[in-house]
Amino acid sequence: MIVLLAAAVATYALRTVLVTLVPAHRLPVTVRRGLGHLAPAALAALVATAVVGHRGVHVLLVPGPVLTALVALAAAALVAWRTRNPALPVLAAVAVAILTEAVT
Amino acid sequence: MDITLRHSPAPEVRAALRDLAPVMVGLAPFALLIGVTGVRSGVGGGTGVLSSALLLGGSAQLTGLTMLAGGASPLALVAAVTLVNARFLLYAAALEPSFRHQPRWFRWVGPQFVVDPTYAMAARRDDLADPRRFRRYWLAAGVGLATVWVSLTVLGVVLAPVLPESAALDVAAPAMFLAVLVPQLRARPARAGASAAAVTAVVASPLPDGLGLLCGIAAGVLAATLADRSTS
Repeated sequence: MIVLLAAAVATYALRTVLVTLVPAHRLPVTVRRGLGHLAPAALAALVATAVVGHRGVHVLLVPGPVLTALVALAAAALVAWRTRNPALPVLAAVAVAILTEAVT
Repeated sequence: MDITLRHSPAPEVRAALRDLAPVMVGLAPFALLIGVTGVRSGVGGGTGVLSSALLLGGSAQLTGLTMLAGGASPLALVAAVTLVNARFLLYAAALEPSFRHQPRWFRWVGPQFVVDPTYAMAARRDDLADPRRFRRYWLAAGVGLATVWVSLTVLGVVLAPVLPESAALDVAAPAMFLAVLVPQLRARPARAGASAAAVTAVVASPLPDGLGLLCGIAAGVLAATLADRSTS
């Protein structure tokens, strides 16, 4: 309980410090320009990390759950590209993952 | 004032809830997974739910619960959660202009809702320049997200004994991130940034405590900035 509380305080500090204590507009111009590109970089890194976990590149070549996830996410990307609907890619990925698991 | 106008929620609140609904469809399995992990790892469903209420960040919660179950030291756990959540520092910096002209209370309370989906939602909107509009939108999105997130974690705790082991739970969250990412890839800097971020995150994934994720984000921002310069 106390450990979680300490982790929550640390996380709150991360969320607050550049808003309240050291406003980001005081950061150098180069850094502020880079922040505009943050969203695609963060989202892509989150997707990649979610797929491979802590197992590195080689896990992409091994058949198994990672391959199932890759197939499901490829379907999600295709649906996202074609529809621009934020919910359909998720449903597509879940459906493909269930199907792939059933088949293999 | 017309009574229907007085009692209807502000357009920003409706917009936030409309934006949040599909995002929550994607996040629901992830929130369930937090509850399931709390129960199955042995740390307890209550701890899983508490982590949702206090941390409001799925990957850090999974890290924290796994480390708790493995008997990690408190210092190591706090350090790991802080590293995994370090991207919130960047999100907050990117969102700071929207917080600049807000009342003091909001500048202290609002950042608690800085997390991947709320950042992505706010970053996609170009109609929140007015501080009051942003405040309403942000609070509706943040409170809505937190409420649903905690509720779904509770549901995960309840369903843990009957839910089967399946990759379907694991792919929902990255699929939701893809749904937000893919429409942004029309611009060349975004494509360069996303590619560099993904490749770096995979290569650096064996690094401990979420450092691989941070390396990926840093490489992506750098690549996108360079691509932007060469384009202009």
